[in-house]
Amino acid sequence: MTVETHSTELPAAPSPHLRVSGIQKHFGGVHALQNIDFEVARGEVMALVGDNGAGKSTLMKVLAGAHIPDEGRFWLDGDEISIDGPQTAAQKGIQIVYQDLALCENLDVAANLSLGHEPTKAGWRFLPRFLRPIDELEMEIRAQQAIDQLEVRTLRSVRALVGGLSGGQRQAIAIARAVGAKSSVVMLDEPTAALGVAQTRQVLNVVRRLRETNHAVIYISHNMRDIFEVADRICVLRHGQNVATWRTAETTTDEIVVAMTRGLDQGGKHVR
Amino acid sequence: MSDKVQLRIVDRMRIIRQSRFGSFVPVLLALAVIWGYFGLAMPLWQYWTSPDADSVNFIFLSSRNIYNLFMQSSVTATLAVGITVVLLLGDIDLSAAATAGVCAALLGVLALVGVPGWIACLIVLGVGAMMGVAQGVLIAYIGIPSFVVTLAGLLGFQGLMQKILPTGNLNVDNDFIRGFARILLPDTLGVMLAVALVAVMAFAVMRRQALRRARGLEGDSAFVAWGQLVFVAILVFSTVFVLNSYRSVPLMVVLLVGVTALTGWVTTSTPFGRSIFAVGGNSESARRVGMNVKRIRVAAFGIVGLLAALGGIFGASRYGSVSYTAFAGGSLLLESIGAAVIGGTSLFGGRGSVWNAILGALVIGSLGNGLDLSGASAADKLMFSGAILLLAVAIDAISRPPGLSGK
Ligand SMILES: Nc1ncnc2c1ncn2[C@@H]1O[C@H](COP(=O)(O)OP(=O)(O)OP(=O)(O)O)[C@@H](O)[C@H]1O
Ligand SMILES: [Mg+2]
Repeated sequence: MTVETHSTELPAAPSPHLRVSGIQKHFGGVHALQNIDFEVARGEVMALVGDNGAGKSTLMKVLAGAHIPDEGRFWLDGDEISIDGPQTAAQKGIQIVYQDLALCENLDVAANLSLGHEPTKAGWRFLPRFLRPIDELEMEIRAQQAIDQLEVRTLRSVRALVGGLSGGQRQAIAIARAVGAKSSVVMLDEPTAALGVAQTRQVLNVVRRLRETNHAVIYISHNMRDIFEVADRICVLRHGQNVATWRTAETTTDEIVVAMTRGLDQGGKHVR
Repeated sequence: MSDKVQLRIVDRMRIIRQSRFGSFVPVLLALAVIWGYFGLAMPLWQYWTSPDADSVNFIFLSSRNIYNLFMQSSVTATLAVGITVVLLLGDIDLSAAATAGVCAALLGVLALVGVPGWIACLIVLGVGAMMGVAQGVLIAYIGIPSFVVTLAGLLGFQGLMQKILPTGNLNVDNDFIRGFARILLPDTLGVMLAVALVAVMAFAVMRRQALRRARGLEGDSAFVAWGQLVFVAILVFSTVFVLNSYRSVPLMVVLLVGVTALTGWVTTSTPFGRSIFAVGGNSESARRVGMNVKRIRVAAFGIVGLLAALGGIFGASRYGSVSYTAFAGGSLLLESIGAAVIGGTSLFGGRGSVWNAILGALVIGSLGNGLDLSGASAADKLMFSGAILLLAVAIDAISRPPGLSGK
C-alpha cells in the first residue's frame, strides 16, 4: 500500500448516498473547513477522525444544515441538493445526534422519542392539533418498535423516565429518536466519549444495527478501538483539510494516528 | 445501621414517587399531619389539660370550618394552578396576585358603572390574559428573565390597582359576580356530580386497560389503577358529604375543580402540554425537535394571566368587595407560589401537577386557619408557614427520582 493509492482516489465503495465536495467554512479568521470532500454510502459506517479542532464537528454540522458552508456542493443519491437549514436536512433524511444528546430527562422514553410529533387520537379534528389528546398507546407502540429495531435489550420499559437511564441507554434513545424520523443518514458525534466498557458495547451494537438497517452512518470518535470495531471506512481530517480515506480492513491504528497528527508525507503535500 | 434503614425508606419513597399518582403523597401527608394536629391532637390536648372543659371541641374538623377552608383556599388555589403552569416551564410569575388585584378592581368598577356581570367577567378575563401575554412577550422575545419581568409587573400592577381603586376598597354587590361564592349546588346534585365523576374515571381506567391489552402493551398493575380510583373516589365523596353536611357544594369549588381538570388535561395529555414539560425539562431539546419555544412561553404566561383574572373574580365574589390588601398588597402571591411548590412542583421546571397545587393551597389554607383557631399571632403564622414550605420542599428533594437530582 502506498500513499498515492489512498490519496488519488477513494477506495472502491458502494455508490455514495450522501456526497459533498469543496466545502469551505470560515469562522471569522478561522478557516475551519478547507475544500473538504466527503461521502458516505448506505449500509456503511464511515468514521470521521482527526485531532481536536480538526473540523469534524463542524463538517457534521454543515451536513446537518446547522452551519451553512461558505462554499460547497451536496449530492444525495447522485442528485444535487441544497441544504439551507436543519429543517431541510431533516426532510432529506439527514439526522444528527449531538454530543449533548438533548433529551428531556423529566419525560419518559416514549415521550422523548415522539417529542414534537406526538400521535394524536382520531376524532378530535375540531381542535387545533396542539390541543388534541395525545394517543399514548400509539406513542408507546412506536417507541417500542424504534427500540426493538435498534435491539436495545437493557431497556426495561419505554415508560421509564429518561432521567433514570444509564449513559449508554440515553445514547441509544437519542439515536432512536434520530432514526425514528425516517432518516437515511445518521451522524453520531463522539457517542461513547463518556461511557464505560459495557455501555460503549451497547452503543456500538446500536451502530451496527443502523448499518444492518441500511442507514448511512457517520461516526466521530477519538477512540481507535471503537473505530476499528465498527467502521467500514475511515476518513481523516487535519487542520480543516482532507488527509485521506482508508478502508478499515486495509489500514492500521498506527497509520491512522500518524495521518491524524502529522498528515501524509510528514505534513508536506496534501491531497487535492 | 440506621443509615441503611433510612436509605430503604427513601428508596421506597422514590418508587412511590415515580408513579404519576405518587407525586400526591407528600402533599397529602402534609395535609394529614396538619389536620391531625389541629383537628385531633390540639383539641384532645386541651381537653385533658384543662379541668374545666366538659367536652372535646373539634372546631377545626367541623363541617362548617372545612367549608370555609375550601372557600378560603379557592382563590389561592386558582392562582396556584396558573403559577404551576409557568413553573413547569422553569419560569416564575411574581405578578399573579397583582394581576388578580387589577382584574378584581376593574371588575368592581365595571360592575359599579352598570356593566352586566357576565360581560364584566369576560372583559376582566381578557384583560388578565393580555397582561400575562404582554409579560410573556417580554420574557420570550426580548429575553428578560421571568423573575425580573414579573417583579416589575408586581410593582407596576400594584400601582395600577391603587390607581383604579383610589380608596383602596370597593364593595361588589352585583348578583352575577357574587353568585360564584353564593350559589350552592343542591345536595343531590353535588352527590350526582361526584358519582358521575367517579363513574367516568372508572370507565376511563377500564377502557385504558382493555385498550392496552388489545394492543399487546404491558398493562398497568390492576392494583395500582383501581387503588388510585378508590382513593380519588373516597376523596371526592368525603368532600361532597362534608360540604353537604354544612351547606352544600359551592359553585366556586365546582368551577375550580373544572378549571383545574381542564388545565391538568391540557398540560398532561396534549402536544401543547407536552411541549411545556419539554421546554421545562430541556429547552434545547424542545427547540431541536422543532417546537416554537417562544410561543409556548407566551402562551403559558397568557394562561397564568387568565387564571389570575379568574382568581380575582372568585376573590371579589367571596369577599363581596375588592380591597388592596386582599390581593396585590397581601400574602396572596406568596401563598399561591407556596401552594404550587408545596404541591411538589419544581421551581426548576419540568416537574409538577396542577392538581397538587390545589392540595398545596389546602395545606396553606389549613395551616392559617388552624393557627387562627388556636389563637396564634400573625408572627407565629408567618413562621409556621415558612417552616411548612421548607419541610415540603425538603420532602420533595429527598424523595425525588434519582435522575432528576439536578432539577
Ligand atoms: N461556532 C464556532 N465559532 C467559531 N469557531 C468555531 C466554531 N465552531 C468551531 N470553530 C472552530 O473551528 C475549528 C474546528 O472545530 P470543530 O469543533 O469542528 O473540531 P473537532 O474536530 O470537532 O474537534 P474535537 O475533537 O475537539 O471535538 C476549531 O478551530 C474551532 O475553534
Ligand atoms: Mg467535536
